[in-house]
Amino acid sequence: MSVPQYRKVAALALVAGLGLSLTACSTKSDDGGQEAGGKVTITVDCQPVGAQKELLANWNEDVAAFQQENPDIIIKSVSVGEQCNNPPDFTARLAGGTMTDVFYGYMTDLGQVLDSGQAMDITEFATKDNVPTWDSVDPALKEVFTDGGKLYAVPVKNYSMGLVYNKVLFAKAGLDAANPPKTWTEVRDAAKKISALGDGVAGYSEYSAGNTGGWHFTSLLYSQGGTILSEDGKKAAFNTAEGKQVLQNLKDMRYGDNSMGSRQLLQWGDLLTNAGAGKVGMFVGAPDATQAIVSQFQGKFEDWAMAPLPGQTGAAKGTLGGGEGYFFKKGLTPEQVKAGLKWIAYQKLTPGKGQFDYERAKPQNYPVGLPQPLLFANGTEAQKQEFDLRKANANVDTANFALFEATPVAIKGEPRNAQAIYAVLDSAMSGVLTDKNANIDTLLKTAEEKVNQLLAAGS
Amino acid sequence: MAIMTAPAPPRTTAAPSTSSKSRRKIRDNLTGHAFLIGAVICFALFMWYPMIRGVVMSFQRTRRGETTWVGWDNYVRIVADPSFWTAWQNTFYFTVLALVLGYVIPFLVAILLNEFRHAKGYLRILVYLPVMLPPASALFLFKFYAYDPSEAGLFNAILAGLGLPTSEWMQSPTMTIPAMVIASTWMNMGSAVLIYLASLQNIPGELYEAAELDGAGLVKRIWHVTIPQTKLILALLAMLQIVATMQLFIEPLILANGAGTQDSATSVAYLIYQHGFFQNDLNGAAALGVIMLVVLAAFSAVYVRLSTKEN
Amino acid sequence: MSSRTLVSQAQLQRGRGKVVYWTLLSVVVLGFTLVFLGPLYWMVTGALKSGQEIAQTPPTLWPQDPQTQNYVDAWTNLALGKLLFNTFYYAAGAVVFQLVFDTAAAYSLSKLRPVLGNVILGLMLATLMIPAMVLIVPQYVTVIDLPILHINLLDSPFSIWLPLVANAFNIFLLKRFFDSIPEDLMAAAMVDGASPLRTLWSIILPMSRPILGVVAIFSVTAVWKDFLWPKLVMPSPETRTVSVGIYAFAGGTPQNVVIAASVIAAIPTVIIFLIFQRNIMSGLTSGSLKG
Repeated sequence: MSVPQYRKVAALALVAGLGLSLTACSTKSDDGGQEAGGKVTITVDCQPVGAQKELLANWNEDVAAFQQENPDIIIKSVSVGEQCNNPPDFTARLAGGTMTDVFYGYMTDLGQVLDSGQAMDITEFATKDNVPTWDSVDPALKEVFTDGGKLYAVPVKNYSMGLVYNKVLFAKAGLDAANPPKTWTEVRDAAKKISALGDGVAGYSEYSAGNTGGWHFTSLLYSQGGTILSEDGKKAAFNTAEGKQVLQNLKDMRYGDNSMGSRQLLQWGDLLTNAGAGKVGMFVGAPDATQAIVSQFQGKFEDWAMAPLPGQTGAAKGTLGGGEGYFFKKGLTPEQVKAGLKWIAYQKLTPGKGQFDYERAKPQNYPVGLPQPLLFANGTEAQKQEFDLRKANANVDTANFALFEATPVAIKGEPRNAQAIYAVLDSAMSGVLTDKNANIDTLLKTAEEKVNQLLAAGS
Repeated sequence: MAIMTAPAPPRTTAAPSTSSKSRRKIRDNLTGHAFLIGAVICFALFMWYPMIRGVVMSFQRTRRGETTWVGWDNYVRIVADPSFWTAWQNTFYFTVLALVLGYVIPFLVAILLNEFRHAKGYLRILVYLPVMLPPASALFLFKFYAYDPSEAGLFNAILAGLGLPTSEWMQSPTMTIPAMVIASTWMNMGSAVLIYLASLQNIPGELYEAAELDGAGLVKRIWHVTIPQTKLILALLAMLQIVATMQLFIEPLILANGAGTQDSATSVAYLIYQHGFFQNDLNGAAALGVIMLVVLAAFSAVYVRLSTKEN
Repeated sequence: MSSRTLVSQAQLQRGRGKVVYWTLLSVVVLGFTLVFLGPLYWMVTGALKSGQEIAQTPPTLWPQDPQTQNYVDAWTNLALGKLLFNTFYYAAGAVVFQLVFDTAAAYSLSKLRPVLGNVILGLMLATLMIPAMVLIVPQYVTVIDLPILHINLLDSPFSIWLPLVANAFNIFLLKRFFDSIPEDLMAAAMVDGASPLRTLWSIILPMSRPILGVVAIFSVTAVWKDFLWPKLVMPSPETRTVSVGIYAFAGGTPQNVVIAASVIAAIPTVIIFLIFQRNIMSGLTSGSLKG
């Protein structure tokens, strides 16, 4: 071989080798976040993605303002996708230890974060000094992120589910949008009328795939007064009259009235895409579902209103609630934890700032006036301030949510082992929504056996 | 990395003595291993080590940041998973059906294409076109258009147009797997056809000539000339195809949003994904991986036994 | 003139044979066009339809009111340019890494045959039967924290390139091809005083172009077709591949835009294939894939 060719090969190998060692350097990030000038750097995730233009601009503005107020803190924002906690990605980040210093998670994630060994005890830092409104934060929410007396995350959002409905379709179908269905029977009637509009409109829409079916089954079951697991959490408790009623309602709408559309096996984005396109009359969701419809799925929020979750004969006996918070990665310095808390306090827990900066949000394509996140305990100063600001700047007709807000329904959390149980319940939901001849008793019995099997095996 | 940057092997000198002969032998061996080392490191890091790690993980459990030895617990839990047997059933059904469709059809298509004297290039490009699509795209095409359960769907529109009964495709438990096989065959068969075509073109024409002189008809010629002549490739592709279809994952994930209706699409690979990345159970997922490995090893042992017997 | 195949040329030119041939050819051409081009036509035009039109029964053959906006949205919202660049970058790297390391290994195993070479070959071939799915979890935890080195390869292209080098099938193909190169050639080169590297470079490789082409095609296809692995090891939106990116966005994007994105994503590869079609075919044909 000629010399130049040999050199080429050697050079290639060298570049390849070098590349490897370069990435080796670049992926190491354990520098403690402490820089020479006494500045503290923290990374934070759940920055809005590019498509959410205004939200992203707001976030960046908040970072700039915060850093100006706290010149010795540097915030590095990371965007992890439109859904900040997509379970497989979240798991992957935890397993890989690639989450940010301060990272977003659901209330139900505490166990998983603890198991990964990545959770930092922040009890001693979560005080008025670092989070001025800390004492106003609803103690129930703090409790959710507490394990063995130790606090691991700061709550930043809290919601409960209700009946979300499209006012335009209600009007078209001759229904009174100010008087939404209060019982599942009324939902059924309304769905029939809405789907009679044709054009591929589903009167009522429901999930049945990707674990979201089980998630909603849980919510529907709570509305009937049922519960997923027995009190001790060791047995399935949904194979009851209430559970059967949930599936019977769906089956009646799907096949009795044909008011749920022919496309099933929906998961999160599928349903909201249809809703954004004006093809869904009603669905069960949290207030921020309307926000997603607007900011991601090209819907209009003036079209949407929300009612409390219906019950079988009267008001719902319960509803599914949940929320989000920011965890702290193990091994942060006290300075970093304090910096992270200050940032969260600024962006998430201060009336008039960050997520509560309603004045800024008002002219934007971003709903103000939604009855959430409801972070502050009733009667606290922060709650009053937040409420007044919200009323003063509301850009959605607060009447759209008045019913939901005025009719509190008892909130229940998700069951233990939620995702594994949801995977099983998906099957019952898809059964009743895709099989005309599905036998509800069999579906529930099978699901019950499966969940018991799961629990017995200690998953 | 060491291969190329390792000192260039010294040139051989003439007329070695006995001691320099053994030294040369050592040197030759070193050179040989220098060429091997890159691949060996990659195999070690990404194949051999993970295999051992997988087995070890399957007997451990990580809870509260601490990893402990739990014996067979993960296996007990994974076998107790309500979808365990369904997943295996679905995967085997898919594998068999995909073998019937995805293995036989490309071979027949290749034989046919090899006979044509016209439009060869055009047909070849056609068959290979779907391979060009990113797999997710091809599957969304099927999901949104072909398998739409209403009569707005392409397949149903065609069936209805022909006066045949329509199907709900992915929403029908009995059609889920066949529908996944159709989509998968459509998007993957191009590569197999090209490989078969290539090996068909290497069959010496005289063999057919001779067979024809012996009075062998078309079928006999395929049976006695084409198949034996392409045997190795056929065997190899069968193996690869089975290994590939056993890993059924993206089809259920996209076409059926995971489990499909009443678990009719759940595959073993999807179950691994569910446990590992939805249910915070990487150890259980590793155990299921080991089970899959054992099943495939048993299968390949049978396969090797059968194919050696034949020879 | 191509050599004789299953059916002789003469038979196809005679009366009945000719009729059968032309009928079969037309049926196949028509059928294949429908089966393989039809869905793609549906895809290209479907992406131009409005959401309303898509839901129509029976479906329309041609969009009544073409919405080119869908394609624009797809390009901008999904950052397709970035996704495509990533995918091609990973594919190109995979080709380089596989060619360099697998060729070197196959050469060593075939011609240099160092001690324990056969054991190593056996260990490599043993992995032929192991589907990626079996190892996905341990491989993933390995990539997160490489043993000894303690490097995290997430979001680094090496997490795609290096595992692909561990490809027993490629080594098997290459070794088989090298085995068929006469030993005499090697011996002659050795006598001339050529080093093994030089022999590889100036004697073996020039003869092996077709098989190298095959390996290159396979590695490009592997990167293009893979889904779960890149989904796991490339978690951030900036490093995703096309397939993973389209999937990630499908949940929050209207159907037509997803399909439009798919059309755009397919264009570059189709063009590349059309250009190199002949080379790819001849590579496969002469690439020692004989039975």
